[in-house]
Amino acid sequence: MTGDRRAARIVAAVETPYTRHPAEGTTTETLLADAFVRVLAGAGLDRADVDGLGVASFTHTPDRAIDLAWKLGVRPRWLMDDGNGGASGIQLLQHAMRAIEAGDATTVVLLSGDHFDGDSFRTLVDNYNRTTAEVLAGIPTGGPNVLFAMLTQQQMEAHGLEREDYGRLVVAQRRWAGLNPGAVYRAPLTLEEYLASPIVAEPLHRLDCVPVVSGADALVVSAAGEGVTVRALRALHNHDGQEGDGLQTGIAEFAGGLWGDADAGPEDMDVVSVYDDYPAMALAQLADLGFVPDGDLGGFLRRRFEDEPLAVNTSGGQLSAGQAGCAGGMHGLVEVVTQLLGRAGERQVESARLAVVTGYGMVLYRYGACANAVVLEAP
Amino acid sequence: MKVFVCTSCGRAVFPHRLLCPDCGSSEWREERVEHGVLEAAVEREVRVGAVRTPLGPLAITRIESDAEPGAEVSLDQDGDTPLAR
Ligand SMILES: [Zn+2]
Repeated sequence: MTGDRRAARIVAAVETPYTRHPAEGTTTETLLADAFVRVLAGAGLDRADVDGLGVASFTHTPDRAIDLAWKLGVRPRWLMDDGNGGASGIQLLQHAMRAIEAGDATTVVLLSGDHFDGDSFRTLVDNYNRTTAEVLAGIPTGGPNVLFAMLTQQQMEAHGLEREDYGRLVVAQRRWAGLNPGAVYRAPLTLEEYLASPIVAEPLHRLDCVPVVSGADALVVSAAGEGVTVRALRALHNHDGQEGDGLQTGIAEFAGGLWGDADAGPEDMDVVSVYDDYPAMALAQLADLGFVPDGDLGGFLRRRFEDEPLAVNTSGGQLSAGQAGCAGGMHGLVEVVTQLLGRAGERQVESARLAVVTGYGMVLYRYGACANAVVLEAP
Repeated sequence: MKVFVCTSCGRAVFPHRLLCPDCGSSEWREERVEHGVLEAAVEREVRVGAVRTPLGPLAITRIESDAEPGAEVSLDQDGDTPLAR
């Protein structure tokens, strides 16, 4: 298999039911264990087959992947922690597939999950990194909403967008969520209801912000079996040192290389997943990927979210399915793999063969610093 | 408020970095900036803004006035927290 860039494949993908009201006794490690058991069952594998384990979580601390290996009873030859939030899923996949190609492991389980209770979410956002604790928490910013409110204001001004333009994306994602039994918000949503949702920080209203949930996601990356293959994977983190306008991500710099490696372009994608912490950033990533060649973001939203909709964030995205902390970085991968394996039930995109998934996140100071993307192909 | 200026090349940053983005030096001096231009503002628990300092860095600050984007604001610090008025 060495030298064959497509040797690794994703043979199973699962998500534990996301919930805003987790059952008593739920902890981050019980969620991760639940995802582990479910994904092995999905892959038809035994615990003894697992020789690689990767974990992404904010709240698993002070434990690490090795604690989980011990408590789950696996003996990995390849072990990795990755706490890079919205980029962690693709980050783990990147490393796992290289490990398999190099022969360091044959069957890797990747887990991602978080559980928030009481003050733990506020504690996380106030202590997200040293810089936040030192110069943002005292303002208080109270988390990333105010930062992305300012970025959204700038995007609106630069592109002549109105709130209803973002509403088209949010409403379209809610339509998908209605077909996903795992989404926390599934009730149909109108543009009027979107516009009337309570204000958070102008121009962001509640429906522009992800609902925080408890949950976990998992993938099995394997050297054998039928599965989804990786055509291309690229990443660029800290592309501008937090000194740009925040409306262009590292994706813009590597998109040409990504599509070149994939021997495909945006127009070839049957399913798309972009990291939707906020509608403005989902839109920015779509533009960075090359989905808006004429630069007309408003026209793109009308065209591809209403008139002839593109299959974007078909789980409902984090905006409707929920954001389980770090698992938000694996949520899109799980959804797209599910689509490419033809197991997406009512929301199955017909003949889905090629898909692109992005990761974005880690707000160091003003906006997300991490960016990656992967082009996936059905078996 | 204080920003950090590279003693080798004069590049200013805020917040603090370990190595200068331009020249790689780890030697910084603190320099006080008294004014800046408010580029964006938003209301949440308090008013929060993005202020362009004359040395270059864009700082996220608490705003303790009703200044609107485009206005010049004075800059101060409450402990490590930047303030604009
Ligand atoms: Zn310097």
